[in-house]
Amino acid sequence: MTNQPNTTDINTPHNNEPIVISVKNVHKSFKLPTERAWGLKQAILNRFKGIKGYKELKVLNGISFDIHRNEFIGIVGRNGSGKSTLLKTLAKIYFPEKGSVEINGTLIPFIELGVGFNPDLSGRENIYLNGALLGFSNKEMDAMYDKIVDFAELRPFMDQKLKNYSSGMQVRLAFSIAIRAKGDVLLLDEVLAVGDAAFQKKCSDYFASIKGQQTVILVTHNMDNVIKYCDRAILIENGRIKLNGNPKEVAEAYNNLWNEQK
Amino acid sequence: MAIPNFLYKNNRVLLKELTKTDFKLRYQGSILGYLWALLRPLMMFAILYLVFGQLLKFGNDIPHYPVYLLIGTTIWSFFSECTSQGIQAIVNRGELLRKVCFPKYIVVVSATLTAVINLLINFIVIIIFALIDGITPTWTWLIVPIVLFELYMLSLGISFLLGAINVKYRDITSIWDVLMQALFYAIPIIYPISMIAETNTTAAKVLLLNPIAQVIQDARYCMATTKTDTSWNYLSESELIFKFIPICIVIIMLVWGSWYFRKKSKKFAEEI
Repeated sequence: MTNQPNTTDINTPHNNEPIVISVKNVHKSFKLPTERAWGLKQAILNRFKGIKGYKELKVLNGISFDIHRNEFIGIVGRNGSGKSTLLKTLAKIYFPEKGSVEINGTLIPFIELGVGFNPDLSGRENIYLNGALLGFSNKEMDAMYDKIVDFAELRPFMDQKLKNYSSGMQVRLAFSIAIRAKGDVLLLDEVLAVGDAAFQKKCSDYFASIKGQQTVILVTHNMDNVIKYCDRAILIENGRIKLNGNPKEVAEAYNNLWNEQK
Repeated sequence: MAIPNFLYKNNRVLLKELTKTDFKLRYQGSILGYLWALLRPLMMFAILYLVFGQLLKFGNDIPHYPVYLLIGTTIWSFFSECTSQGIQAIVNRGELLRKVCFPKYIVVVSATLTAVINLLINFIVIIIFALIDGITPTWTWLIVPIVLFELYMLSLGISFLLGAINVKYRDITSIWDVLMQALFYAIPIIYPISMIAETNTTAAKVLLLNPIAQVIQDARYCMATTKTDTSWNYLSESELIFKFIPICIVIIMLVWGSWYFRKKSKKFAEEI
């Protein structure tokens, strides 16, 4: 493969497993409006003035990697490096201009917790709505429902409206849906460290327990978590893969990003 | 698209959940709740009936004018609610589209389904009104759902087309509001088409080429009185080809709207 020099050889226990995600040379750029044509008038005026109205920003610049089944992958990088865009491309929310993303199996994306949560619906209704958004049928949700509620420890509140939950409880509910959702690949963007100490301990135990049994892609800034959970980590800088390999080395390289600048 | 390989059934579940949420939250916090779905069109009807039926005597030569008028206002309310919700749907659900991947058309359809539910409730009221007014049910009543379906297809086509444009140019919402005002008077909802025909027959014929007018007049013909001038029987035999214009407009709007929406939907997440 061209232009992927920084892949350290790493023997994760999953190298022999089939590939579930294959990302090949993905390019993505956004048209950033310089003078936003919010209306017809501005659009027409801009055309007359010869203003293109946008400048192009390359966010992903040829990203390629494979993920094997049951691998726990960490994706790190500083703000604006292209992590979230990459994740949204994996989740098929964005479409790459060049390159391809192939996924074998179902991917459950959590770009944000509690997507579609509605404060005027009860906890129960929100679970089913959220499940439907992730592509689960009511029957599948029925099967998951008890586990979700138990994990969130919110059973007495399920018929209350979400707006009467504390913010911690809301996040706990959302997080429980995220980790109890049964899919082949779980995509988590910055969603660790929610709830109080006891709940965090529970999440940490849970992550340790699914390691090696579920494909997880985790985007985080917490290097401790990367070292603790990940089989492999990928460092992204300026839309390119800077390092793809051992979590410890990647964590080190990540911390060195700031030293380099100084 | 390989993944998310959601089955068709799961799309239906999502559609159901979104519609349920919309419908449940629509009248949240109001004392009368769902009753407003009935009261609003009935009140609009009462006002129009008082002004145009009683004071201006528009409906003197139309049998069962109250039912005739109610059918018109109800169908108009449906079209107006359906399109305004449908056009706004993608923008209103922007947050969702940026975070999860699912077929975008579901958002538009779910937004319009609330209007469909309201329409069905209102037609029960129309049937009750009709029976009280002494109209005997005939088999022609069964045609009404067909023409209403035609109107729903038109509304969906408009919602897809304008909803997709609205993502980039929010002016669409305001333009549509004004256009709806004009349309209300361009359709023989409160006045009989014969009033226009008195001064200008061609204008009357042109107004009846509008598919919304066609649907309203057909529904009235089938349910209220066969004295209604429909697009089909108002045009003469020599103008046969024009009789197909309303249905052609509906088909063109639906195909064009769906095609444009499909083309643009890939970029919604970025552009909202």
